[in-house]
Amino acid sequence: MSGKTLYPFSAIIGQEELKLSLILIAINPGVGGVLIRGEKGTAKSTAVRALVALLPVIETLAGCLFSLAPEEAGERCKDCRLCDRKGGVVSRQVRVITLPLNATEDRVIGGVDFEKTTQHGKRTVQPGLLAQAHRGILYVDEVNLLDDHLVDVILAAAAAGKNRIEREGVSFSHPSRFILVGTMNPEEGDLRPQFLDRFGICVEVKAETDREMRVATMEQRELFDTEPSLFIERYAEVTAMLAQKIVGARNRLPRVFISGRQRALISELCTGAMVAGHRADLIIEQAARALAAFSERLEVEDADILRVAPLVLRHRRREQAPPPPPPKEKEHDHRHDEDPPEEEQEEEEQQNQENPEEQQPPPDSSLDQEDGEDDADGNGGNPDESREPTEPVSPNALEAVFEVGSTFKIKPFSAPKDRVFRRGSGRRSRSRVSGLQGRYVKSTMARGTKDVALDATLRAAAPHQRSRQGQGSCAIAIRPEDIREKVRERRIGNFLLFVVDASGSMGARGRMTATKGAIMSLLLDAYQKRDKVAMISFNKTEARLNLPPTSSIDMAARLLAEMPVGGRTPLNHALVKADEVLRGQLVRDPTSRPIVVIITDGRSNVALGVAKPMDECLELARRLAREERIRFILVDTEEQSLIRFGLAVKIAEALNARYFQTADLKADTLIDIMKAEV
Amino acid sequence: MSCQTIYPFVAIVGQEQMKLSLYLNLINPTLSGVLIRGEKGTAKSTAVRALADILPKIEVVKDCPFQLAPGDGLNLCRDCFHVNCRERRITGQQVEAVCRHIKVVELPVGATEDRVVGTMDLEHAIRKGEKRIEPGLLASAHRGILYVDEVNLLDDHVVDVLLDAAAMGVSTIEREGISFSHPSRFVLVGTMNPEEGELRPQLLDRFGLSVRVEGIADRDSRVTVMERRVAFDESPETFASLWKDPSRELVDRIEAARRLYPEVTISREELYTIADFCLNVGVDGHRGDIIMMKAAKTLAAFDDRRQVRRSDVEEAAELALPHRMRRQPLMEIGDNVKKIKEMQR
Repeated sequence: MSGKTLYPFSAIIGQEELKLSLILIAINPGVGGVLIRGEKGTAKSTAVRALVALLPVIETLAGCLFSLAPEEAGERCKDCRLCDRKGGVVSRQVRVITLPLNATEDRVIGGVDFEKTTQHGKRTVQPGLLAQAHRGILYVDEVNLLDDHLVDVILAAAAAGKNRIEREGVSFSHPSRFILVGTMNPEEGDLRPQFLDRFGICVEVKAETDREMRVATMEQRELFDTEPSLFIERYAEVTAMLAQKIVGARNRLPRVFISGRQRALISELCTGAMVAGHRADLIIEQAARALAAFSERLEVEDADILRVAPLVLRHRRREQAPPPPPPKEKEHDHRHDEDPPEEEQEEEEQQNQENPEEQQPPPDSSLDQEDGEDDADGNGGNPDESREPTEPVSPNALEAVFEVGSTFKIKPFSAPKDRVFRRGSGRRSRSRVSGLQGRYVKSTMARGTKDVALDATLRAAAPHQRSRQGQGSCAIAIRPEDIREKVRERRIGNFLLFVVDASGSMGARGRMTATKGAIMSLLLDAYQKRDKVAMISFNKTEARLNLPPTSSIDMAARLLAEMPVGGRTPLNHALVKADEVLRGQLVRDPTSRPIVVIITDGRSNVALGVAKPMDECLELARRLAREERIRFILVDTEEQSLIRFGLAVKIAEALNARYFQTADLKADTLIDIMKAEV
Repeated sequence: MSCQTIYPFVAIVGQEQMKLSLYLNLINPTLSGVLIRGEKGTAKSTAVRALADILPKIEVVKDCPFQLAPGDGLNLCRDCFHVNCRERRITGQQVEAVCRHIKVVELPVGATEDRVVGTMDLEHAIRKGEKRIEPGLLASAHRGILYVDEVNLLDDHVVDVLLDAAAMGVSTIEREGISFSHPSRFVLVGTMNPEEGELRPQLLDRFGLSVRVEGIADRDSRVTVMERRVAFDESPETFASLWKDPSRELVDRIEAARRLYPEVTISREELYTIADFCLNVGVDGHRGDIIMMKAAKTLAAFDDRRQVRRSDVEEAAELALPHRMRRQPLMEIGDNVKKIKEMQR
C-alpha cells in the first residue's frame, strides 16, 4: 500500500511555498518542522504524504525499535532488551509517522507490551510513535484538533529531544528528535502559542486563483485517479531527480557558510517583527542555509534570507505594544469587511439607520432621544441609587436591527473540574469521561467500559501468582476479578446559555454593533469548543427564549444578526427565564455544568413584583447563584465614560459571576503565554 | 437487511436530483459521496436503503474483513487475524474470491469510536496473551458505501476519525497497544435535517456532492407516493416483483456507464468553464473543481455519451458547489444555491 498509491510530489501544481518548506525540512532537520495552515482541499495532506518519496536515506541499527543511529548505541543498548543487536547497521529512508487524532497516550509515548508481558511474565516495553519518529517526521493531520494531553506530551519530547516513559510501571527514556509537520484549517480553532512556536516554519496555503493552474490541477488529478500506476511512473524520473538534489543539498549543508553581516540582517528582521525569544533567528539561519544548499551554493545570499524569513516570522510576528489584536482570521472577518473600527462606529450606526432592514424605520430622533434620556439619567441621578426611568418609555418603542460588529478571539473560560463522569466531546472544560478518549488518570475496579488498565490489572493479579501457578498457558494468570479499568479525563463541551440585553439603552451609539460582535465571537468560540447553546433575549416588557438548547450554533448566529433592539430592560424576567431553562437542562442532564453568559448594561427597569426593579434583580441574582453547578459570566456593556452606573458590577457580585467588560473578553496572546489558563 | 424486502429504488417518486446524485456515485466512486439535506419524510433514508437493490458488483477475497480485492497487496494480511486466509495469501496460494454487491454500511449516530475504527479485546488479550482485533465499520465500508443518517448529530470525535479516512482513504489506529492501518476508501452518504444544526465545514467538504430534497408539491405525485406506499406495505414481495424490470434496466444502465466512464473526455474549454465557475463563486481549495469535472464526466457517461457538454457542466455545478462556496462556520448553505443559479444565467 505504502508508496504505491501516493500522489507524486513533483506532480503537485503550484503551492510553491508549501513545496519549498517541505524540501527545506527534508534537507535540514534543524529547521524544526512545518505548520501548514489553509483552507480545505489545497493539497496540504497530499504534499506531506508525497514527501515520503523524497526523503533521504539514513543509517540505523537493524531491528532497533527506537531507530537509533549507530553512534547512538552504546550505553543505551545495554538496558534495552528489545532487539538482539545482531543485525548490524542498515540504511533506510527517513520515515513519516502519522499521529492520528484519536491516538491514545500509551501509543504515543510507549507503554507495556501486554502480549509479551503476559506470555513471558517479563515487563517488556512497547515503543510508541515518538520512538518510531526519532530522526524522522511526525505528521499530525488537523493538528489543531489534537487533544491537549497529547500536545503536552509532544511538546515535552520536542523540547528535550528525548522521550521519557514513566507509566504503567515502566521507566525508560530514549532519544526522540523528530521534525514536526502539522496541517490545520484555522476555521476549526487555533493552536496553543507554545505549540505554535515549536513549528519552525508556517505556510499559508490558498487555492490557486490562476485559471490555467486550476485546469491543470483537475487534469492531473483525473489522470491519477484513473491510472495511478501509469501516472506515478511518468513522474518517477522527476521525483528521483528531486530526491537526488535533496541528498546533494544535505551533503553540502555542513559546508554552507553564512556571514556575520547576514546574521545581523537576520536579527534585524526578527527584532523588526517583535518576535519573542531567539528561536526565530536560529531557524531563519538554518532555513537560509538549507535553501542555499538546495540552490547548489556554498554561501548564503541575502535573497535566501529574505525568501525564508516570512515563512519563519509569519506565526511569530507580534505588533508593537500595546498588546496586539489577536491573529486575524480572514474567513471570519470577511463578512464584516465593511465594519469600521470603533472610532467610526457612529458613522456605522448612521449607515445602519439609513438602510434599516425589514423593520419599521427607526428614526434617528427616537434613538437620540433615548440616548439623551440615558445621559440625562446619568447626569442627574446618583449612580448608586439606580432610579428607574420614570419617563414613559412606551413598551412598543421602535426597534432597530444593528449589524454584527467585528469578531475577535475569546479568552478561555471553562467550568471547574470535578469527579463526575460524563459522556461527550468538545474542548471546553476538563472532566472525567466515560468514553475511550482522553488521558488515563487512574484505575478503578468498577467495570463497564472494557477499557482495561493493564498496569493496575497486573498489580492486582501479582499477589496471587504463586497460588495460581500452572493454570492456563500464559506466564501470568489473570482472573476476571483482577481486571481494572481506566479512568480518563479530557475536555468536553459545555452548555452555554446566552442572556442578551436588547433594550433601547443598548442601541445607543452603536454599542449594540460592538456587543453583537462580542456575542458572535463567543458563538464562534462555542463552535470551536463544540458547546451546546441556548439564547434568551430581553427587551420591552419580557424575556423570550429565542433559541432552545441546541448544538446548532448557526441558528444562534442567525438569530443574533436579526435581533432587534429597543424598549425597556426586563432583566429580572430574563433571570427568571434563565432559571427555567437551566432547571430543565439540569433535570435532563444532571451532570452538565452550564455556563450562563449574561450580556447587559445592568439597568434593570421592569419589575415583576412590587419591589424596585434593581432590588428585585439583585435578590433574583442571589437566588440563582445558589445552584452550584451553574457558572455565571457577566459581560458589562456599559460605556467607558466618566459617569457610570456600575450596576452590572453589583449584579455580578450577587450572581457570584466572573465580570468582564466587552473589551476584556479579547484574548491577549501574550498574557496567555505567561500564565496558562485558570 | 437482506431477509426483508426493501422498497425498490426505482419506485421512489420524484426526488430526481437525489436519485441522480446516488447514481453518479455508483458509477464513479471517486466522487466521494453525497450529502442529502432535507426535511423529515422526504424519502432520504428510504432511498439510501433501497440502493441495495441496484448496487454494482465487485470482486473480493472471500470473508476478508478488509474487503480486499484478490490483486491487492499483502501488507495488511501479515497482521490479519484471519488465520487460514493469511497463510494462503502469504504463501502465494490461490484464495477464493467472490463476486458480490458492494455493501452499504450504516454508521449509527450513537456509534462509539471503537466500533468505527476497530478495537482489540484487551481483556481477552491479557488473559490469553493473544491479540484479537475486531475491524470496525471503516474496514467493512472499504470499497463500499458508508451511510450516516443524521450526519450532523454525529459525535465530534467520530467526525474527526471520518475526516481522516475520507480524505486519504486510509484509516490509522494507534490505540492501547494496537497499531495498524488499513485502506478505507468509501462513498460517504449522509442525510441530515438542517434544522438540527449544520455540519462542520471540514466534514462538509468531504462530501463530493450535495442535494437538497423537499416534499413534492405536485398533487398527483403525492397521490402516487401514497398509493405505492400502501401497495408496498400490503405485500412487499408482489410490489417488488412489479418493479423488477425497471430495476434491472437501471442496473444495466449504471453498469454500462461504469464501463464507459474511462472513455469520456472533456474539452479544455469546458475545463476553463469549470475553473471560472469555481473562481467566481469562491470555492475553498481545489476539491470543488475536481469533483465538478468528475461529476460532469459521470453525467455524460450516464447519458451514454463520450463527450462532456455544457449542460453536464451546469448540472454538475448544481450538485458539486452549493456546500463548498466560501463560508465561515456560521453561514447558511441555502443562499449559495441561489447564487449558482444566477451565475448560470
